[in-house]
Amino acid sequence: MTRQTNPEIAEMVSPASLPRRSGELVFHDPWERKVFAMAVTLCEQGLFEWDEFRERLMAEIATAEHAAGPHALTSVLPSYYESWLAAFEQLLREKGIVPAT
Amino acid sequence: MSAEHGRHNAPPDPRLEKQHAPEQTQILEERVQKLEALLVAKGLVATETLEELASTYENDIGPMNGARVVARAWTDPAYKQRLLTNATAAIGELGISGLQGEHMVVVENTPSVHNVVLCTLCSCYPWPVLGLPPTWYKMAPYRSRAVIDPRGVLHEFGVDLPESVEVRVWDSSAEIRYMVLPERPQGTAHMSEQELAKLVTRDTMIGVARVEVKG
Repeated sequence: MTRQTNPEIAEMVSPASLPRRSGELVFHDPWERKVFAMAVTLCEQGLFEWDEFRERLMAEIATAEHAAGPHALTSVLPSYYESWLAAFEQLLREKGIVPAT
Repeated sequence: MSAEHGRHNAPPDPRLEKQHAPEQTQILEERVQKLEALLVAKGLVATETLEELASTYENDIGPMNGARVVARAWTDPAYKQRLLTNATAAIGELGISGLQGEHMVVVENTPSVHNVVLCTLCSCYPWPVLGLPPTWYKMAPYRSRAVIDPRGVLHEFGVDLPESVEVRVWDSSAEIRYMVLPERPQGTAHMSEQELAKLVTRDTMIGVARVEVKG
């Protein structure tokens, strides 16, 4: 094993826990893998603490669930990695890594 | 996949279903591409390492649990005893969840016995401990040949055993899932439990590889 997984990331608990099937991560589209890896690599480089990202991810998941509401049975929730993307963009703006447009 | 096989899999999670229509996917795809271009321009991200990183997480997360179990058994004789007598409970001790309804049995490799795990019926596999089974595990050639000619199959995996070593083949089912406790390699006496866990790969816990110390 040349590379190691970070248990802080791998073992996040619900609702932030990584979607898995049979123990393995589930990605539906290439962009999901990409945005997952981008957040992990920037954290590895010390640009932020994983907890900072996790907090924003949980906030995005909570917002998504709230927006859908208990009666909005037919509306599609923003997916896990959509929340992940929103949280990542937010954190990058806060850190001044990308411009706050 | 039949219903019979379906119950061997993980419990359903709504997040596992694809939720986006193609046009939505396109928008998200572009959003991520824009972000990636920005980070690449800043020298923070390299496109080729992103793919590598995602695969690492895909491949290592599952087996890591099993590796922790093995490393604990190597360093704690009392734990090893519990693991060999009641694996389900001993694995649970390490906080590994998802084992409900699965009876785990751990079989120990020794200098005179080598264990190999397969599932002749379908692809029963201890997923909470080892992650998703490798593709070959589910293929007919492995499933049937490992029963008939385990030494030949092991040879193809690069494991050559002397005639004096007895090969035992364990057939996993929906009721009993087997995992191999590989032999601790020589020259690892100085290593910590965490360092040891890094040596343990998925294949060693299926029994088609031996644990090796990289120089």
